[in-house]
Amino acid sequence: MIQLTNIEKYYANKGVKNYVLRLVTTTINQGEFVSIMGPSGAGKSTLLNIIGMLEEPTYGTYNFLGEDVTSLNERKRIELYRNHIGFVFQAYHLIDEMTVYENIEAPLLYKKVGSSERASRIADLLDRFNIVAKKDLFPNQLSGGQQQLVGIARALAAQPSIILADEPTGNLQSAQAEEIMALFKKLNQEDGITIIQVTHSEKNAQYGNRILHIADGIVKEDVAVIA
Amino acid sequence: MFKLNLKIALRNLFKNKIYAAINIGGLAIGLTAFVLMLLYINHEESYDTWDSALKNVYQIRERHSFFTPDNKEHLQESNESRVGSLIRHKVPQVIAVTKVDPDWDFRTGYSVRVGNADPITVNRMKDSDSSFFHVFKYRFLQGSESNALIAPKSVVLKQSLAKKIFGEGNVLGKVIKVAVWQGDKGMDLTVTGVVEDPQTPETAGFTAIMRTGNKDKDPVNPTNNNYCQVYARVNEGTDPELLNQTLKRVYTDYKKSTAPLKKIEYKSYFADGKYLQLKAIPLAEVHGNRPFELSWLEKLKPVIAICVFLLLVSIINFVNMATAQSVQRAKEVGVKKVMGAYKQQLIAQFLLECALQSIVALFLSVILIEVLLPSFNTQFHVDLSFWHNPHLFNMLLQLFGLFTLVTLLAGFYPAWILSNYDPASVLKGNYSGSLKGIILRNVLVVFQFIISVTFIIAISVMHLQTSYLNNKDLGFERSNLINIRAGYDQDLADKIKRIPGVQYVATTTQVMGNAFNVPEEIQYNGNKISLNTVTISMDALSALGVKLLKGRVFSREYKQDTINTVVLNEAAAKLIDKNPVGKSYKIADEHKMLNFQIIGVIKDYHNEGFDKEVLPTLYKVTTLGGTSSTNNLIVRLNSDKNAAIIEKIKAEWKHNYPDFLMEYTTLDSAFDKVLENNKRFISMIVLFSIVSVSLSLLGLFALSTFVAKRRTKEIAMRKILGASNIQIVGLLNKTFLVLVIIANLISWPVAYIVVKKWLNGFAYRIDLPLYPFFLATVVSIIIAVLTVSIQARRAALANPVKALKYE
Ligand SMILES: Nc1ncnc2c1ncn2[C@@H]1O[C@H](COP(=O)(O)OP(=O)(O)O)[C@@H](O)[C@H]1O
Ligand SMILES: [Mg+2]
Repeated sequence: MIQLTNIEKYYANKGVKNYVLRLVTTTINQGEFVSIMGPSGAGKSTLLNIIGMLEEPTYGTYNFLGEDVTSLNERKRIELYRNHIGFVFQAYHLIDEMTVYENIEAPLLYKKVGSSERASRIADLLDRFNIVAKKDLFPNQLSGGQQQLVGIARALAAQPSIILADEPTGNLQSAQAEEIMALFKKLNQEDGITIIQVTHSEKNAQYGNRILHIADGIVKEDVAVIA
Repeated sequence: MFKLNLKIALRNLFKNKIYAAINIGGLAIGLTAFVLMLLYINHEESYDTWDSALKNVYQIRERHSFFTPDNKEHLQESNESRVGSLIRHKVPQVIAVTKVDPDWDFRTGYSVRVGNADPITVNRMKDSDSSFFHVFKYRFLQGSESNALIAPKSVVLKQSLAKKIFGEGNVLGKVIKVAVWQGDKGMDLTVTGVVEDPQTPETAGFTAIMRTGNKDKDPVNPTNNNYCQVYARVNEGTDPELLNQTLKRVYTDYKKSTAPLKKIEYKSYFADGKYLQLKAIPLAEVHGNRPFELSWLEKLKPVIAICVFLLLVSIINFVNMATAQSVQRAKEVGVKKVMGAYKQQLIAQFLLECALQSIVALFLSVILIEVLLPSFNTQFHVDLSFWHNPHLFNMLLQLFGLFTLVTLLAGFYPAWILSNYDPASVLKGNYSGSLKGIILRNVLVVFQFIISVTFIIAISVMHLQTSYLNNKDLGFERSNLINIRAGYDQDLADKIKRIPGVQYVATTTQVMGNAFNVPEEIQYNGNKISLNTVTISMDALSALGVKLLKGRVFSREYKQDTINTVVLNEAAAKLIDKNPVGKSYKIADEHKMLNFQIIGVIKDYHNEGFDKEVLPTLYKVTTLGGTSSTNNLIVRLNSDKNAAIIEKIKAEWKHNYPDFLMEYTTLDSAFDKVLENNKRFISMIVLFSIVSVSLSLLGLFALSTFVAKRRTKEIAMRKILGASNIQIVGLLNKTFLVLVIIANLISWPVAYIVVKKWLNGFAYRIDLPLYPFFLATVVSIIIAVLTVSIQARRAALANPVKALKYE
């Protein structure tokens, strides 16, 4: 599904190249649940952003669903966002002016999903995540864990094939974090959604089935999680 | 999607109530001024558009030198009356021609009596001929176009006048007695028609069209001329170019053939670069293009500029606020982009938000306009309305255009900035991209302050000039002096003179409010000098209270004063001789030379607006060399019971002239009138300045709030590092202060040019002082600092721990 070949990323500063990623080559298949781990500043977020096409690599090639997306035009990229990729953020990034319901609805509007279909999908998600009662509240009226649930529900609304999550539990207490991780695992196993997450916690990484260890921009280890 | 965006927009407005209010309120004010101006422009543009058939009507203008302020030839609205029948008979395209009185400046009206009722004064009654309503199409409510003026001594009333005189009902066949001047016994005219008041203003406006018979004929003696306005209706589809060519040919032939009858050499029409010209002006172009005055568009230009600036200031507020606010919206943009929003969709969303605010502002401004229109109408002597506007649809179309323009101007830049946010950096929490707007924002703040500072400078200079004019020595005593609108009548003058409290009764052709200039060429020591001649009665100079500089003024003790003496004003003396008293000059009269002796020099006194210099003038009582007269009967009072004395004068008048109402002005009000236009202009500028300055300050206030908010963390850090509150207030002020100072530096030369130009419009003006410039700078800095400090203080006083924890 994802094929990274010799991906490099550097920032040039006064003629000096500061490498963030170096010759990253890896393949991620449909249905995998990958955790990216590593010290702060190692380049985890950068890698995830490149996978999410939010940043372009300085060098290398990137194939997504068999298509070269190394430098993609905006329209094509937006199509991929609408149909294949869901993002989950550490800071949740819900839109403050929208209710829970509207936040989940927004990607469906961009995707031009019909209104009855929209309503049923949202009802389904609210139900599944146990937040029906909260649907008319605004983000600032929710706890962090609840906000992240909404964030995930929003990412799922467009029925993506892959979810990219950058430290999704970074701001949460461990009980809430576990709930989110369990949810990810369920999504991965029951719905076959590919998940790539960045995490600091070994415990969280255990929910997935593969761990990429990154340090200084280099993939140091690529290990499978033994269930 | 639209619905959701609308919801978000509304929620955003409520969340930032104060800024939304500033934004919308400011825009509403800017729009109000602009829409009022549009209304006014529409009004001026709507002149003579009440009937589509008017496109075939032309005003005829003849080039001649009668009644011109400079005694030179000009293309004028008044034509020699023979032009009427000339074009009626010689120009094939012409179907109908009418001759009609012009609007007199100084005569306010005729006296109209019905039966034995007291006379009332009616303005703008005009004498015309039988063809008036064949040229100008009006809707007849009573009578008919074909029959109305068919007989002499008939009159057609406007509906409004008919109501005023007779009330409702049929008025055909009723008789009114019209007196044209105070000694006039009056002429009975039969009402033969009533026409509807048209919806749009008219150049050849009237309250009644009379056919007294005077306009039916031209003077018998070819050397005598009557002057009147001439309008012609032409065939549908007439080419104006061809029409004017025909006019030219016909007119030249006419002048050639009549020259011998008038005892004039045809060649003399072309002497000294003069030439013959008769021109047809399409009625639609007449109002915007009157001879001897600036067109309304020219007059309106400064106002248009101000309105545009005001609107710009409010739009700038809008843009500034929106871009400053965009920091808060960055996350939304980032998230939406990764959810799959196109850039255009985001632009559309932000434009929608802007449109929402502009539409609210527009509604507010419509309400404001309704509230302000009555006082606007009295200020500008118009009768504008918004909802009852005959061109309401047009108006709404313009408003829609304005709305679109404002929305795009105010919304596009912020929308573009916002939609360009890079989601990766925004979502990482790295908002530095939002600094992009900062340069533009600063430029806009500077621009706003340039406008405000220029306004402040302008109003202080205007204030100085106005107080200079108000306190200016006019050269005569304007208090306790009244001017009755009447020719000099010795009998009445004597009666008034006998009333206790009346000091002088006199007449003059030159007094503030009604001055009539007659140029004359004198010969002094072999030099030819052109002077203005004023005919007065013996007591006039004393009645006016002018200041004598040399010699004496006229007096009954000197027999010679009724024979050949003159008094000069200072300006004339300067042209002639340092010490002219006792000397004499000559003027050429048909065959012989006439001799005049100068007996005194008086100080120049003002009789017109301060935009004109006092003309070099000679004053004479004698009829030698010809006289002139206008309706000025000036009365000098010397008691403190003026009202009672004026009642007595009125009683004497009524006794002498029962058919004519006495009208008078005080010289104080004549003086006010001279300053009126100027005053109106200044009060408008003051109003606009206040609005513009407050808008700029509101904008600055909101902007400083955003800046303070954006720098919350920095401020908190500095406080922890030991910065005092004052240092922090200073920190925030510094950026803005630099902008305000830059704005001041730019506005100085701008204001200098603008104000200098305005002052140059006055013949009597102050030297441009420097201190308004410093004043404006100091004022603008103080208020800017105060405004910013309110916000900065709040930021400085905030608990730093809170701010840091929040992050
Ligand atoms: N825009 C940028 N300019 C320069 N350096 C950057 C930029 N963005 C990220 N970096 C650097 O790249 C490195 C990796 O960042 P990141 O991928 O966010 O690390 P992490 O593994 O903590 O998520 C860091 O050292 C960071 O300083
Ligand atoms: Mg990171």
